[in-house]
Amino acid sequence: MKALEVKDIVKQFPGVLANDSINLSVNKGEIYAIVGENGAGKSTLMKIIYGLYTPTSGEIFVFDKKVDIKTPHDAIGLKIGMVHQEFMLIPRFTVTQNIVLGDEPSKGIVFDYKKALSEVKELSKKFGLKVDPAEKVANLPVGIQQRVEILKILRRGAEILIFDEPTAVLTPEETEDLFKTLMKLKENGKTIIFISHKLKEVIAIADRIAVLRRGKLQGIVEKGKTSEVELARMVVGRDVVLKIPKAETKVRETVVSVRDLTVKSKRGIIGLKEVSFDVCAGEIVGIAGVEGNGQAELVNALIGFTRPVKGTIAFDSKELRVITPFNIRKKGMAYIPKDRKMRGLVLPFRSRENIIMGQHTLYPFSKNGVLNNIEIDKFTTKKLEEFDVRPRDIHTRARNLSGGNQQKLILAKEMSMEHKFLLASQPTRGLDIGAMEFVYHKLIEEKERGMAILLISLELSEILGLSDRILVLYNGEIVGETTPDKTNEEELGLMMLGLKKKKRVTK
Amino acid sequence: MKDVFKRFFFGKREKYWWMNVLVPLVSILLAFIVGAIFIKITGRSPVVAYKLLFGASGLFPGPYWKSHFSEMLLSSSMYIATGLGFAIAAKGGLFNIGAEGHFIVGGITAAYLGYAKPFAGLPKFIHLPLIIVGVILAGGIWGAIAGYLKAKRGIHEVITTIMLNWIALYLIEAWLVIGPMKAAVETGISGTPYISLSAKLPKILPPTRLNISIIIILAVTFLIWYLFYKTTFGYEIRTMGHTLIFGMEAPKAAGINVERKTIQTMFIAGAVAALGGAFMVLGVLFQYPPIFEGGYGFDGIAVALIGQNEPLGVVLAGILIGALRTGATTVQLAHIPKTFPSIIEGFAVGFIALQMLIRYWLMKLVRGRKKSVQTEMGGGAK
Repeated sequence: MKALEVKDIVKQFPGVLANDSINLSVNKGEIYAIVGENGAGKSTLMKIIYGLYTPTSGEIFVFDKKVDIKTPHDAIGLKIGMVHQEFMLIPRFTVTQNIVLGDEPSKGIVFDYKKALSEVKELSKKFGLKVDPAEKVANLPVGIQQRVEILKILRRGAEILIFDEPTAVLTPEETEDLFKTLMKLKENGKTIIFISHKLKEVIAIADRIAVLRRGKLQGIVEKGKTSEVELARMVVGRDVVLKIPKAETKVRETVVSVRDLTVKSKRGIIGLKEVSFDVCAGEIVGIAGVEGNGQAELVNALIGFTRPVKGTIAFDSKELRVITPFNIRKKGMAYIPKDRKMRGLVLPFRSRENIIMGQHTLYPFSKNGVLNNIEIDKFTTKKLEEFDVRPRDIHTRARNLSGGNQQKLILAKEMSMEHKFLLASQPTRGLDIGAMEFVYHKLIEEKERGMAILLISLELSEILGLSDRILVLYNGEIVGETTPDKTNEEELGLMMLGLKKKKRVTK
Repeated sequence: MKDVFKRFFFGKREKYWWMNVLVPLVSILLAFIVGAIFIKITGRSPVVAYKLLFGASGLFPGPYWKSHFSEMLLSSSMYIATGLGFAIAAKGGLFNIGAEGHFIVGGITAAYLGYAKPFAGLPKFIHLPLIIVGVILAGGIWGAIAGYLKAKRGIHEVITTIMLNWIALYLIEAWLVIGPMKAAVETGISGTPYISLSAKLPKILPPTRLNISIIIILAVTFLIWYLFYKTTFGYEIRTMGHTLIFGMEAPKAAGINVERKTIQTMFIAGAVAALGGAFMVLGVLFQYPPIFEGGYGFDGIAVALIGQNEPLGVVLAGILIGALRTGATTVQLAHIPKTFPSIIEGFAVGFIALQMLIRYWLMKLVRGRKKSVQTEMGGGAK
């Protein structure tokens, strides 16, 4: 029996054909993965199925019945549920409150919390998804929060579960747990659609894999009949070297040195405790850690968004008393933010306007405060080519670019600015392998040019592959310093979870 | 040449760019329709009312057209000034309610510099520019106070601008006009003394009282447009306005000094709105009266909203509101109160607030039409 079938789905956005007559059919009780680059049309297709977009043309069948899904409400009615990349949970509510939100059991007009509690307990037992129903969501690790999301949609009777890049925010251990969960759901007869661009995972878990490229279906492969390299070729359309190139450079003078840095988090508690490290010209220092262990605080202090409670930051061995984004940029810092939409780009701006942000006051982009549009256009055309931003049109608004291309635009912007120090905060977040490979090459290039690079990442393979030195952040402290040749993913994983400490070799 | 011109003024247009023009027009049209329904409900004739309203508005030729036309432009120039005051701040993500305060601060400054001794004897070509510079500084500083409080102390500009409006009002009406700036008793004038001849704005269309204020404000509008779209300053203001919902993090992270820009933006907004007050004193009243019939500042918000915060749009909206106000008195002949145009103005703003909905409907209309045309012609969707 087919759980879901789409026929000739076409979605036309202004200037972009996001889905070009896509045909897919998903069997009941199957784990079906959809892979593809950023902007390949995976999310668009899922949003069509979930009723967030209406297709330009095409038909959707759910359990062999032709349906017309106009809103997510329709989709839920058809027993389709979606676990979004960003969780839709209310941190101050308990697990139970979150799960029943929108469909609460009640006694008359009073919310029946006890009944809700028992319902959630039963549900979690039935599917073997362990949660503490009375715990506040804010206190839960990301992996468990995701479990709450899953329970939420299961409670609504979902038979088809769509996961939009579920492993992007998880640690390796949490990913393992998620896969166990998925297998359990499969045993229970649920159908799972799994969107990802992590090919290793997809190969491990999926029964069938559909590959999308530039809005078109490239092919469907069965479990066990493909390899990572072959799949990668299908996704990107050419051979990809997944290995990260190593570059030996001479480490030179110290560019940034941080001493005893203590920073408060947005919530007002100490998020970073007495952290000290140096970054030298020509080296990449990687910071590993599970999200929320002080990375945001470190970045905010370095870029000058929050004032440290204690400690100093020195640039070129000159201590900076007050750091503002304005003066640290002048000193020569480039910054690739983790949140592209919020910190990296002005979404309604065109590529040509975005790419000069931060260097717009410099010659040749402007003279005496008047912008030189001809120079800006020339520069943008050149950079879009160099950084392979698609579409090449310099007038595309950032809002209409896909995530990967937004990231490339940011790279183009930051790397063309004069700088000595690059702060890269999760530079490959949400990128596909093609774009990732690109980012890695650019980072290595930067290193070869003698830049000091601080790389903050959740991806261990990235940290291990790129860094010359690795620092591990746990609970706001550096719990270990090591080099890639002296450690491995398991050890780093344990350190990230605070289960193992390693003495710092240097300070 | 034509290409350069196009490039300079328009840049690249996207598909459906005309939607940005059509939506305000449709909103205004809807406002007039609703206005007509109101008149009809009260048992009067909308046709007669609109005929009278537009006949005396100065927009269309007719009896006494010259005088209506000049009156319209006189008030329009003030609406455009306050409208720009709001629009400039809005482009930078600031909600400036202070145009009323800037307006009267500009007025009182113009009055003082117009009659006070050391200046009053100067030749016109020195005196008038001097007054304008004084007005710009005074209005600008009044605006910059709110900008400073927002940037350095984090106090929301809506609160501070409203408070500054009242401070300005009471400083002027409860102190200056009846105190230090009061005209001598023997002259028999209430309010400040009349400004000297050299301070009056030159007339351009005698015998009407139309003066160069409209030319000044059109020049200012062009400068503001240039500032917005051709300079780094305007670029920075726009980055701030577009990222308001994200706390302006992107421009901050890019090293734009958001705090300083906030103060500067509010300075310019205040200065331009203050020009409106100067036009009032230098071109219409020739003194600062004891009680000032205000409202230009608040109408400026409506003008800016209808004009979509774009300089050209503000000019057109300012002319529309000016025309409505000019024709307002005549609608009384149709037994309709002269405040009726305010109702239309209110509805126009209301429909502008619903612009997403109107845009959506219009888009549907356009797309639907296109589809049927395509199928008629046998063309595929591709």
